Amino acid sequence: MEVTLVLAAGGVAAGLFGALLGLGGGILIVPLLTLGFGAPVREAVGVSLVCVIVTSGAAAGVYLQRHVANLRLGMVLELFTAIGALVGGLAAFLLPEPVLAGLFAALLAYTALSMLRRRLGDAAEAPLADGAPILEPRTPATPMAAWREALSGQDYRVRGLEAGMAGSVGAGVVSALLGVGGGIVKVPVMHLVMGVPLRVATATSNLMIGVTASASAIIYLLRGGIDPLVAGPTALGVFIGATVGSRTAQRVDVRVLRALFVFVLLYSAIEMARRALGLA
Amino acid sequence: MGAQLSDRVELERVLGLLLSAGTYVAVVLVGLGVAGLVLAGRSPLGPDVAPFDPGRLPADLVAGRAEGFLWLGIIVAIATPAARVGAAGVGYALRRERIMAAVAVAVLAVIALAVLLALGTG
Repeated sequence: MEVTLVLAAGGVAAGLFGALLGLGGGILIVPLLTLGFGAPVREAVGVSLVCVIVTSGAAAGVYLQRHVANLRLGMVLELFTAIGALVGGLAAFLLPEPVLAGLFAALLAYTALSMLRRRLGDAAEAPLADGAPILEPRTPATPMAAWREALSGQDYRVRGLEAGMAGSVGAGVVSALLGVGGGIVKVPVMHLVMGVPLRVATATSNLMIGVTASASAIIYLLRGGIDPLVAGPTALGVFIGATVGSRTAQRVDVRVLRALFVFVLLYSAIEMARRALGLA
Repeated sequence: MGAQLSDRVELERVLGLLLSAGTYVAVVLVGLGVAGLVLAGRSPLGPDVAPFDPGRLPADLVAGRAEGFLWLGIIVAIATPAARVGAAGVGYALRRERIMAAVAVAVLAVIALAVLLALGTG
């Protein structure tokens, strides 16, 4: 009984941290289960995918009802994230456990360094342009241009669709292999490469997470990679933590939390790397 | 143009409701399963749980076993995004947006392929 409650409490912490820092809780679930409870990486990834689906589902529903997410663009890109997730989900059962641990250690280190860089650059960082304003009338000359037009929003125009599709396949592979939502790939691709405003890119990425994670979670489920007794308490905890976190995020000074988060990520990265090298 | 916009707004509202409802149903089912685990004093780290078996699900639910509610909650969670894609496909087909309807069918085909490959290579 204690273990069930500890799992749920760990899930609450992961969901709360993730929501407060805008990262999603997925990145903490795998280290929590592997380093904290000794679960195999693959099983932890399966549980994490369930957590990611549950937390993104509630947020995506709200984003859609408020018309923040770009549904058309999300559906086109999620076709490619789902293909990536299919490939990644199958590959996850072929790769040895230490390789998965090593890949996760790299993801943790990359995320920690990205957060550090963002923190150091906070003062000097210019505000990100929220999509290029449309100055000329929309008169698409080619079918591809017309297609881009159909995927654009009212006050921004989508560009670099091919790059977005390629990035989405990569995001799907990362999501399926490591049990994360993949927003760390999708949001920068949509915002910086495709010209989608940051708020819309974040909401659209959230919308795509469900389908992406489902495509690989099905593989984990049918191949015995999800333990319901572990997934249940963890997912419930993450959902509660993410719900509380998203409602309090505006009122919390996240600077200290962010520093703590970076420390946790770096520590987890080192421990996962040790596991990958057979030292733990 | 105005009718198109209100159509889009309505479709997004319905899909948003579907996603939220599916997620909350999944969370309630998982919550019941977790409550069952706690009340029974069972440890998640005990002996291995049998892999997912759809045939056992109704019996587990009728008997009030925690596994039944946990599995059903997980299935509802995993199926909800696919249901959203299916509903979007129907919505686009009714609006004669053939390309978007085809995109929805393609997404569902990838998910179906995932099921087939998982079963075939398991």
